[in-house]
Amino acid sequence: MSEHLLIDQLEQALERLLTAGEREHLEALNPALAALLDVARELRHLPRSAFRNRLKADLERSRTTMHVEDHTTTSRPAGFRAVTPYMIVQDAPALIDFVTRTFGGEERHRAIGSAGGLHAEVRIGNSMVMIGGGAPDLQWRGTSMPTALHVYVEDVDAAFRRALSAGATPIYKPMDHDYGERSGGVRDPGGNHWYIATATGPHHVPAGLHTVNICLHPVRGEAVIAFLERAFGARTLEKVASSEGAIQHAKVAIEDSVLEIGDAHGPFQPMPTMFYVFVADVDAAYERALAAGATTISAPADQPYGNRTAGVQDAFGNQWYVAAPVRRN
Amino acid sequence: MTDADERALVAAAQQDPAKFGELYDQHFGRVYAFVAARVRDRAAAEDITADTFHRALAGLRQYEWRGLPFGAWLVRIAANAIADRARRGSRDVASGDEVPDVGVPPDVDRFDDERARLFQLVDDLPADQRTVILERFAEERSIRDIATRLKKTEGAVKQLQFRALRTLRARMEGADV
Repeated sequence: MSEHLLIDQLEQALERLLTAGEREHLEALNPALAALLDVARELRHLPRSAFRNRLKADLERSRTTMHVEDHTTTSRPAGFRAVTPYMIVQDAPALIDFVTRTFGGEERHRAIGSAGGLHAEVRIGNSMVMIGGGAPDLQWRGTSMPTALHVYVEDVDAAFRRALSAGATPIYKPMDHDYGERSGGVRDPGGNHWYIATATGPHHVPAGLHTVNICLHPVRGEAVIAFLERAFGARTLEKVASSEGAIQHAKVAIEDSVLEIGDAHGPFQPMPTMFYVFVADVDAAYERALAAGATTISAPADQPYGNRTAGVQDAFGNQWYVAAPVRRN
Repeated sequence: MTDADERALVAAAQQDPAKFGELYDQHFGRVYAFVAARVRDRAAAEDITADTFHRALAGLRQYEWRGLPFGAWLVRIAANAIADRARRGSRDVASGDEVPDVGVPPDVDRFDDERARLFQLVDDLPADQRTVILERFAEERSIRDIATRLKKTEGAVKQLQFRALRTLRARMEGADV
């Protein structure tokens, strides 16, 4: 068989293998091609260089944080990143149901919190979200605090339809965007905004982001970024601003979490958000946040569920609960 | 790297975490290969691999050699991370968050080692072949997309892919090509 013919046959078999995971039955025809396909099957697991480099950089940053903070380390429950969005709604079970039906979320934990409301933790893809607030059978009467989230899914059109059938209302229909994704926006019955997207690149989640990413639409993003840098050591990964200084789009990282920030416009108005942030030292993080201009909600205290926590509110209305496991010494 | 070299490197990293990067470079492929073969998709493999190395860095000072090589310790953390993820509906975070103590490492079959070796061999390919393999398999791009990106014809990309696979196969079998 000529090399040219072999190359074409290999490519046809590879295409089937890579698109459908189908095992190609070329073995009987040509053992040499079958041997190459065996290699190709293993190569499907080849790691992305960008991931390998990004993880190394993340570890380097974590290492730096460890050093600065006197060799204490950030400890957090498995599966959590540094920053977790916490959606407070009047009907928390309904929101859990919405997330489960629309995004295939997996409820990992449900309990009654210290204020008598429901507290739940739900896994969506490779990310965690917290959901809290009222439930039909609870006395909790608090204020909702909905959030805006950018969620990457394999099929944005299908997820958009699932969201609508789960009770959401459209903000904008799925469309292709020149920044590398097809996305549509919905508002769930609890008031949260979900910007549902599928990246047009090789993977439906773009490199550097996660399944769920927090979005902020403050009146002046620049001031929020400055606060995040001072309070949490945030790093600006990307920033596009207009000639007048308005932030059109920025990505800011707090350890391994990314917040997307764009100044308020059109339907994207400020939605002060609640965050749960795992830190190495709650007391130090609390002091830094106050020094950066936040006001206290609750001073550092050990909680019965094993975390030491403190709460602050920034000048833009966002609430930040910093947490770490209670030290046993 | 010999056992003695690696023990020295681990000891150095325990004193100075800046040295952890060398351990990461040394073991990334093996950990990723172990995880990728046991989870459903690339996003999960990346998430768990990241989790593994973050846990390892956080628990580095707890690691003691005592007969368990550092690579096996990392794979054990990875196995725990996979198990944590598989545990649906429960939140056993206390056990999941702990770095495992020295003990019997999880099953590492010869396919894990071979896969890790294959990943290493990709790094050793000629630059143009390596680029095509990374674009095709790691970035999951089509021949057409790769041809456009590399400004080559589709035929040239297919030929580079063929030669790379043939070289990898031969080197996996021990041939000096």
